[in-house]
Amino acid sequence: MASTLTFFSQRRLINLGLLLSAVAAFWALQESYANGIRSTGLLSGTALFGTCLVLALFNARKKLPFIPLLKASTWTQFHIYAGWFAVVVFFFHTGLRMPNGLFEIALYSVFLAVALSGVLGLILSRIYPSRLRLYGENLMYERIPSLRQQLQADVEKIIWKSVNETKSFTLARMYESKLKAYFSAKKNTFHHLIGSEKPVNDLTEELNQLQRYMVAAERVFLAEVIECVKAKDNLDMQATCQGVLKYWLFIHIPLTFSLLLMGLLHGLMALAFN
Amino acid sequence: MSEAPATISRPQRWDVPFESAMGAVAVARILSIPPFSQIDASRFPASTSLPDILLNDTGLRSFKKNQVIVREGDYGNSAFFIITGSVRVALGKDAIPAEVLGRRQPEKKDFLSTLRQLWGNARYPEVRSLRRYKEAKAGAEHEKGDDTTAIFLHDIPSVLKGGTAVLTAGMFFGEIAALSRTPRTATIFAEEDCELLEIRWQGLRELRLRAPEIKQFIDTNYRKYSLENHLRETKYFKDLSPAELKEVANQTRFETYGSFDWHSNYKKNRDVAPEERIKEEPLIAEEGQYANGLVLIRAGFARMSQKYNQGERTASYLSRGQMFGFDEIAHNWNTKDSAPLQYTLRALGYVDVLVVPTSVVEQYILPKIPQASFPPPIVAQNKQINDRRDGELSTDVVEFLVDNRFINGRATMVMDLDRCTRCDDCIRACASAHDNNPRFVRHGHQIGRYMIANACMHCLDPVCMIGCPTGAIHRNALGGQVVINDTTCIGCSTCANSCPYNNIQMVEIRNELGEHILDQENRPVTKAAKCDLCVEQMTGPACVNACPHDALTRVDMQDTQTFAKWLQR
Repeated sequence: MASTLTFFSQRRLINLGLLLSAVAAFWALQESYANGIRSTGLLSGTALFGTCLVLALFNARKKLPFIPLLKASTWTQFHIYAGWFAVVVFFFHTGLRMPNGLFEIALYSVFLAVALSGVLGLILSRIYPSRLRLYGENLMYERIPSLRQQLQADVEKIIWKSVNETKSFTLARMYESKLKAYFSAKKNTFHHLIGSEKPVNDLTEELNQLQRYMVAAERVFLAEVIECVKAKDNLDMQATCQGVLKYWLFIHIPLTFSLLLMGLLHGLMALAFN
Repeated sequence: MSEAPATISRPQRWDVPFESAMGAVAVARILSIPPFSQIDASRFPASTSLPDILLNDTGLRSFKKNQVIVREGDYGNSAFFIITGSVRVALGKDAIPAEVLGRRQPEKKDFLSTLRQLWGNARYPEVRSLRRYKEAKAGAEHEKGDDTTAIFLHDIPSVLKGGTAVLTAGMFFGEIAALSRTPRTATIFAEEDCELLEIRWQGLRELRLRAPEIKQFIDTNYRKYSLENHLRETKYFKDLSPAELKEVANQTRFETYGSFDWHSNYKKNRDVAPEERIKEEPLIAEEGQYANGLVLIRAGFARMSQKYNQGERTASYLSRGQMFGFDEIAHNWNTKDSAPLQYTLRALGYVDVLVVPTSVVEQYILPKIPQASFPPPIVAQNKQINDRRDGELSTDVVEFLVDNRFINGRATMVMDLDRCTRCDDCIRACASAHDNNPRFVRHGHQIGRYMIANACMHCLDPVCMIGCPTGAIHRNALGGQVVINDTTCIGCSTCANSCPYNNIQMVEIRNELGEHILDQENRPVTKAAKCDLCVEQMTGPACVNACPHDALTRVDMQDTQTFAKWLQR
């Protein structure tokens, strides 16, 4: 069976096995602490804080690409599975009880936010790359604003040409009423986030409906405008999804540092008052 | 406060000579020795006169008895001419064990220098030290280059695995590696105290171009030695006795297809449809014809294709060391059949081949092969497009690699776009490792979910090196990475224009204050810049090391199995 598994599925199985072993070992340790009437809260709290600290080191590792500290992809794998381990330990630590007191509620919420943002980041990093590839031309994120401006200028040129050559204003009116706003800024962010093509399909359909009011020559320009609409949709999609992939860390990382700080305070208070 | 702009004189070809000790007396002496004395100096233009070439592109070297001059496997950028004494060539692959040759590891940055990149990188793009350029003008390239510590062979009979050949005064050696941009094929050591003239390959190229006597001399040697060396290294020829090998070599034909500087033609025809382009590729052997010889690829690349409906399906590509036609010849000899060639072989750009006639293969080679080692019998095939086994590249990938000549890459950057989150950690890592200057672009040709990024591939046949007037772009002697010596680069753009993959950028350099460095005419000074495969970094390529999602790798296109495995992860 093993020979039919790909490298990634083999790695997933091994890592899952290691995670389950770590959880089982932790559970056994917790049980032995409980039987010895020692504080399981201290054990799980220390394990949780330590794990979170190690997880946070991944960010430091990223800043040191030239130091031989294992490949970043190895760290990612460790980060993913150690993250799941932290979630399990968190539930051991809290005993699945709801928090009480303002600080505890805040700490509890921040942990959940860090964990959820991590899981969300993992899911997005597995879903969005292929969507980006399949949707349209791959673009560099930094170049998207200038490409958008260029595209708008191109569309305006087409409209002017259409007016000059056909003396018909159907396209120009459509541009003024709807397309100008569409081309001048990023649109349909929510739909791009969820992978819906409804807005661009609706718009192209609306543009196609205009054909009946056009002379034959104007229809040629309409086809060019529709191509630009699709290109703009790809720009928006690339900007939205690449933006999310880039900026979700701006939520995950600051939350992690808040968590570490609050976790440290929580630990100190627990040690001081118990 | 206004300061004078940072200026240097525009870099010139011979700003940094190969050897500073070469003077007029040494040049006059060389010009008195044949074949240099026979060269008609009037054939050389005033800008690159014969004495100037000898003055700037050559150096005198003395070697003691048993001292190693060149080592098998090292990348050489120069050839040698024997002035006095004699040298001995160790024949055969790995004729002298690597440990005896004192092969060292490529030099890497130490831990502190590595760590210093965290805060020591420049704040502006493409910052260079003016002091370094000024100092370099006073010195010479070779003296500060990748010269190795003197290595002497002791107890030669016991360390030598194969035979040797002697080269005496008046002969050239090392020109094969220098001209074909390949590793040295043999280790050569001094048989007695000797004096040699080392010629930088740019100088050798000028000599070949302007002096027919030198060209003929070198080309004869090139054909003779490359042929014998190649046969000796080939799988089925290893068991031949020296006499048999000589006989086989005598009957082997040396053939060349395509153009040596294939890149210009390739760039011109890049937009032609693939099915049209394939017809333009020089035909070496045709499917359906009788296999009248075993074709051994000596240098360059060849496409192995099969008729498929109205077109041709590329089954594979062959490069140095691979052979074509053996299966058919062996099958026919073994089964008394007359199966024709199953594939067509065409030159991709430029290719050197050795053709061993079928009768010679049948007489000397096949009888020595055990029955179990024979290739499987040929059966009529009806292979479909993209039929592939594990460890094999699919047809579309092979076609893509061949059409775009990515087969040339030894460290091609391949990205899996279905795993790449466009986080640019690879770019940032690259910039960190290169004084804040990224040396590749996350953009390039795509096949399905894979992209070949615009990063130097450290080609098997680095055509970027062909036109470099100073040898600034060269192979690292130990690892073979194609690197640029920033000091000797004169910013002529020849390498950038030659690279078929647009992987070399010309950059305008600045001083530490971020000001452009200008020449005497107030024009910005440019330098060629590209990926150096992080040759000095402790971790190897920073881009691969930094990718958090296993989306990026560097691939040797000659190792198709590893590549196929990576694609099939």
